Amino acid sequence: MSDKHLIELFDVSKEYDGDAALKNIDLYVNHGEFLTLLGPSGCGKTTMLRIIAGFVMPSSGRVLMEGRDVAHIPPYKRKVNTVFQKYALFPHLNVFDNVAFGLKIKKLPKAEIERRVNTLLELVNLKGYGKRWVEQLSGGQQQRVAIARALVNEPEVLLLDEPLGALDLQLRKGMQVELKRMQQRLGITFIYVTHDQEEALTMSDTIVVLREGVIQQIGAPQDIYNEPRNAFVADFIGESNILPGMMACDYRVRFNGREYPCVDAGFGEEQPVEVVVRPEDVDILPLAQVGGNGMRGVVKSTLFMGVHYEIQVVSDGYTWMVHTTDAVDVGWQVGMQILPDAIHIMRPRP
Amino acid sequence: MVKRVRNFFKGTYLGLMLLFLYAPIAVLIVYSFNASKTMGNWTGFSLIWYRALFGDAMIMRALGVTLSVAALSAVIATIMGTFAAIGMHSMKKGTRLVIENISQLPVVNPDLVTGISLMMIFAFIGLKDGYTRLLLAHITFNIPYVIFSVAPKLRQSSNELYEAALDLGCTPLEALIKVVIPDIMPGIVSGFILAFTLSLDDFVVSYFSTQGVENLSIYIYSMARRGINPKINALSTLMFVAVVTLLLIVNIKSIREERAADTQRRKVAKKTA
Repeated sequence: MSDKHLIELFDVSKEYDGDAALKNIDLYVNHGEFLTLLGPSGCGKTTMLRIIAGFVMPSSGRVLMEGRDVAHIPPYKRKVNTVFQKYALFPHLNVFDNVAFGLKIKKLPKAEIERRVNTLLELVNLKGYGKRWVEQLSGGQQQRVAIARALVNEPEVLLLDEPLGALDLQLRKGMQVELKRMQQRLGITFIYVTHDQEEALTMSDTIVVLREGVIQQIGAPQDIYNEPRNAFVADFIGESNILPGMMACDYRVRFNGREYPCVDAGFGEEQPVEVVVRPEDVDILPLAQVGGNGMRGVVKSTLFMGVHYEIQVVSDGYTWMVHTTDAVDVGWQVGMQILPDAIHIMRPRP
Repeated sequence: MVKRVRNFFKGTYLGLMLLFLYAPIAVLIVYSFNASKTMGNWTGFSLIWYRALFGDAMIMRALGVTLSVAALSAVIATIMGTFAAIGMHSMKKGTRLVIENISQLPVVNPDLVTGISLMMIFAFIGLKDGYTRLLLAHITFNIPYVIFSVAPKLRQSSNELYEAALDLGCTPLEALIKVVIPDIMPGIVSGFILAFTLSLDDFVVSYFSTQGVENLSIYIYSMARRGINPKINALSTLMFVAVVTLLLIVNIKSIREERAADTQRRKVAKKTA
């Protein structure tokens, strides 16, 4: 590994009373990267964040920051700051003193503290809120104070533990954009924990998908979405049709009683595989356009979602999840088409 | 009609209850202003017993002992109890429950038992000084009450606050002083006032544990054995007023806090709605 990695985890495991929370994690984080730890609750993402912050010691393995082992460096000596899930603002201090807390601990000159705190309050759109008590602020405002309190220390890495989890949808969307903008402007590395796949896809440079303490896939949002490495990732990142299949030969795959051309090769001949097709990649055709042995099915349900319809089509015993802009009705016979590059082949789960 | 009857009984019942509770004290307070020395014989309003009280060097010395023991023992018990509560809070659940329960046992222990056991242990270790004995005894019975009022505040306080302080560069001790203790301060203050009050009006434990030194309650007891002196009425009135004032402060404080928390909750609810 080159020394340009800001944080590296080597074979990190963590057990709580015999229950493994993290298993043999290898991961590196680059300077200036927006990295998201994504997974369902209990997948170990928060544990990983707490290990990097220094609140939790790994049971085994090594954590390096800028090439130095941090095993014996307590949280208060790490160049890392955290935005906590429930903000953890100090209720006995006003907004200014909350943000100034870290700088006062470092005993910086008063004028500098004032300058830096005010700059940060401006950055998070809370100029003039310094004298308010944190209890008087709304959830979104408290969130911003928490971010300002962490960022004012100019950390190498900002850790965010589901920071938008308590906000309503509209506010959350706004904060996502704002956070991303802040990160790009300040050039600070963000490590972001969330269970919201949409949030992960919008904000991240790199996504790490975790499940039961094991990394499932690391990659850019596009890669994770378009080329999920296994059925769990495919299922967790957006909706998917996942079917068992057989690789006939290179570029030919059989599933649900048909053979399809595909773009994948190297799985061998007559090998069992799992096939993933995104719902928006299934095209609905009028029956007339389907050839003699084309795919056809019966519409089982439809759900209007605004831009598209979410429909279920039963074909040869399998219920396809399809997103389409065509209006169809329950009971209709429809034709279907799946193009070669819409079919993703994965090795089956062990 | 039924409602009126019900209300009448409700009022009467409450009135009777308060009468039973406060009649003796009311009588005592009234007679502390009596000009005559004999009880039950009202001869006119006067402050002579108060004057006599403050002129009595013995009583003033006893008052000094009571106040200084109350203040010292409350301060020391508050410090020790607060740190004990913080320590217990960070224990594992099983151990914590055991220790918590053990620490609350002295509260239900009869004062007489506490007093005699303290007397025995002081004799056993050869502690002669009466004032030190009194102080140690009061610290001992005060600590559980401080723990009792600090522990719930700790449970309300989030552990994330402590972690946030560490995250922002505090050592564990700094985090404790700058974040955790301010956050549980209301509990610490109530604990202190409770301890102070308990120490002020303790008789049984003091009586058995000390020797040679008299605080107010012991002095009054020995004075009463020689015959009731109206000075005692004046003194008791003052003590009653002092204790009631302190309790009022504690209660009003907690009511205010609850109300503030209520409005806060309502505000938040309104915002999210």
